Amino acid sequence: MAATTAWLSPPSRTELIENLVSGVDRYNPSNVGILEDYLYHQIRSEEYDCLANLAILKLYQFNPDLFNPDVVINILLKALTAEPFPDFNLCISLLDDRPPNSTLDEPDPLPTLLPLLMNLYNLLHQCRFSAFWVLYRSDDLEVIRENYTVECAGFEDAIREVAARSVKATFTRISNERLGTYVDLSGPELEVWVAKQRWTFDSSTGVVSIPPNPDNQIESVVIQEHIKLPQLSKVISHTVQVK
Amino acid sequence: MAHQRVALWAAEPDLDDDINDADVDIPIPVPSSTNEMYDDPNLQLNEGSLQAMQQHIAQQAAFEQIPDIVKRFIVHFHQAVLDNNLQEVTLAYESGWTRLTEKYYAKTEWPEAETIAPLVNDDQIFLILYRELYYRHVYSRLQPNVDDRFHSYENSCELFNYLLNSDGPVLLSLPANWLWDIIDEFIYQFQSFALFRSRPASKTDDELTMLGSEGGAQAWSSYSVLNVLYSLIQKSRVNEWLKARAEGKSDEEIEEIVGEYGTKPLYRMLGYFSIIGLLRVHVLLGDFTLALKVMENVGLGQKAPFTAPTAVHVSTAYHAGICYFMLRRIPDAARIFTGVLNWVMRARQYHTRSYQYDQINKTADRMYALLALCHVLAPTRLDDNVMNIVRERYGDQIGRMGRGEEGLSTFEELFLYSCPKFICANSPPYDDPAALASMLIPPTPTSPSSQNPSVVLGDPTQRHLRAASAHFMSLTPVSSLKSLLKLYTSLDAQKLTGFLDTSGAGVNEEEVLSWMMVMKNAGRCVGRVNTGGTAANGEKDNDEGSRPSESLLDGEWMSISDLNFVIDQNMVHIAESTVGRRYAGWFIRNSEHAARVLDGIKASPLPPRTVPTQVQKKGGDGPKAESAPRTTGQKVAWGGVKVA
Repeated sequence: MAATTAWLSPPSRTELIENLVSGVDRYNPSNVGILEDYLYHQIRSEEYDCLANLAILKLYQFNPDLFNPDVVINILLKALTAEPFPDFNLCISLLDDRPPNSTLDEPDPLPTLLPLLMNLYNLLHQCRFSAFWVLYRSDDLEVIRENYTVECAGFEDAIREVAARSVKATFTRISNERLGTYVDLSGPELEVWVAKQRWTFDSSTGVVSIPPNPDNQIESVVIQEHIKLPQLSKVISHTVQVK
Repeated sequence: MAHQRVALWAAEPDLDDDINDADVDIPIPVPSSTNEMYDDPNLQLNEGSLQAMQQHIAQQAAFEQIPDIVKRFIVHFHQAVLDNNLQEVTLAYESGWTRLTEKYYAKTEWPEAETIAPLVNDDQIFLILYRELYYRHVYSRLQPNVDDRFHSYENSCELFNYLLNSDGPVLLSLPANWLWDIIDEFIYQFQSFALFRSRPASKTDDELTMLGSEGGAQAWSSYSVLNVLYSLIQKSRVNEWLKARAEGKSDEEIEEIVGEYGTKPLYRMLGYFSIIGLLRVHVLLGDFTLALKVMENVGLGQKAPFTAPTAVHVSTAYHAGICYFMLRRIPDAARIFTGVLNWVMRARQYHTRSYQYDQINKTADRMYALLALCHVLAPTRLDDNVMNIVRERYGDQIGRMGRGEEGLSTFEELFLYSCPKFICANSPPYDDPAALASMLIPPTPTSPSSQNPSVVLGDPTQRHLRAASAHFMSLTPVSSLKSLLKLYTSLDAQKLTGFLDTSGAGVNEEEVLSWMMVMKNAGRCVGRVNTGGTAANGEKDNDEGSRPSESLLDGEWMSISDLNFVIDQNMVHIAESTVGRRYAGWFIRNSEHAARVLDGIKASPLPPRTVPTQVQKKGGDGPKAESAPRTTGQKVAWGGVKVA
């Protein structure tokens, strides 16, 4: 159950949040503050709790007057880093149509930013990492960069993790420059990052070697069936009875 | 006026007469008395009583028109409910009601509850149940208008109020079918109302006022629906009951745990069905993880703790499958669909009569479509029976979808056909006419939302469709890649690019590498550990899946693709895994069959002696001589021919 246990209940979740997420209290609008604080805690300390964030979105779904677009954008950014889990899609599913809300102080940034975020997500999902970084660094996304990702600790590192997961699965050796475009690093920074990933960097040939893992070791397998004894029990017991 | 007052008195003796002979045209004598005394002070009273009187007359008329059979049925039904005679109630509910509906009320409504009230002595409880059936009929055969919707909501509230807030558990005893239908219908009416209210453009003024009023905002609100379901679950403590059963506690302990409400089958079944109801509501609102979370204690095996109606299983499987599909856990979704479709195919002949038969069929059809989609997104070997049907129905759609981008419209079509009608949790602002108007008018060029009209968050189904389509689009290169890679054991990336570039789209190597990574990603997904079954690439040990307390959201990364590859610098190495011939099942089945046949022959009586003389002659040495050469073959124990 390793793959999903951390996703289902991250060790960084406190008991209070656990009760909120798993119980009926999650529908109580007055609890939204607690969950929002938890989100900011996640942002600052590089943690991620998918189900708690979905709980926030659900409260927004039922109480449109609580809607806070900044929170939503932060949640979506965090979900981007969770690829290949389908979190981004789940968040989008919970973003209902809202009547134009005139109670906000500033104009609602969500409608403009949402398509940009979706573009980012599509690029990540299609593993077009270099295009992702190009878009991310472009002027269009300055708004996101200035206001949101700068607060989100470790956002770029988390995206690099996503790229690393894909690369790890597909490659045994990959050239330096190519890896650099995938993670938007170069030169000594790249080397430091590679070392952190525990991959070996061969500076003479400029090739990074990725240690073997279940995904990038392939072998031809002929799947044989296992015949187990219980399946044969009827036949065997019948032969005994024949006498 | 005076003459009306007299009429009231005069009419009363008529009313007390034999009801069946009530005359529509009650003679209202019109005396010409002009007694002023009866004028103004009593005017209001007269108006009121006049109306009551007219209503009464109308009811009499309606009552008159009810066929006798129906009246008798209602009385009998009422008696059965009062007596808590479960069998009679089941019979009346399942066959009586449907029969009479077909015969008399196929296109019209059943008589109003007030009309039949005298037949049942105004038993409010029965009337609530009757109204539930009445509105169900309206929703399914006819078009409910906004009044019907509000009234049915009030009726449901009354029913659940009665069940939940009486002192102590209620002494009713209703069949499981009915209880499931109550919950199912409740959610269906909620869904119907949500769809109705989310379309403000085509409403009449009356409807607008009703929806905008205080009562309108409250009716069918998501919170109240969820409240009902959660309260039923909590009152009956069904989650604790399921957990205790799974842990194998004894009956007394279980009784203690669930309390007095939980021990009554009525509440237990309602609680269990409410869990399924919650699953459905969460799916409709788009929260797939929460939907799977509430099903924690129920699990998805087909062993319900008691005999639940087929519709329950079908509904559970359909909605759980949708959740897994939207969570991109395709193998899990496919497994659920196949399992339940197999079961439905086998159980189909037993259910032609039930109220839910059409529903089950429609859901089954949708599941076939979803299976086709799953097959396209993550082709794995599945049960042959079901796959044959899928290929039969959707063969050319599957082909079209496998061809890349052009398949998108087919994908969307199938998805829209098979997905549930997702709803929006909130209603448009009916109480604020200005806001409502601005919603209906298309946004002006200066407003931000018009800059990207394609991303305006509209109809929820469209949102989910977009998410699924995005996933589909990202997988389009995979099929052509796959067919190319199958031909090689190792291949240079440049060459691969060259091959793929034949379509002239100007593919460069980077893109191809991205596709490879996507393909690799698509080849792995989170899936529930298989409990038993043949070993396949990447599954973990089989025991872990059988613990009852695991959540439906758990899973491991597993490989679902049979074509595996790895990239070494610029060289792609490919390995394909194939499945060896599986003969064990075939042999075992046939051995058992042969054994059965043999047993049958041995057990059957000997053929009668037709030629006694011949047998007698051979009698002595026959058997002995024959048995000698037979030692080499299988030992056959023939009943020896007995020579008399």
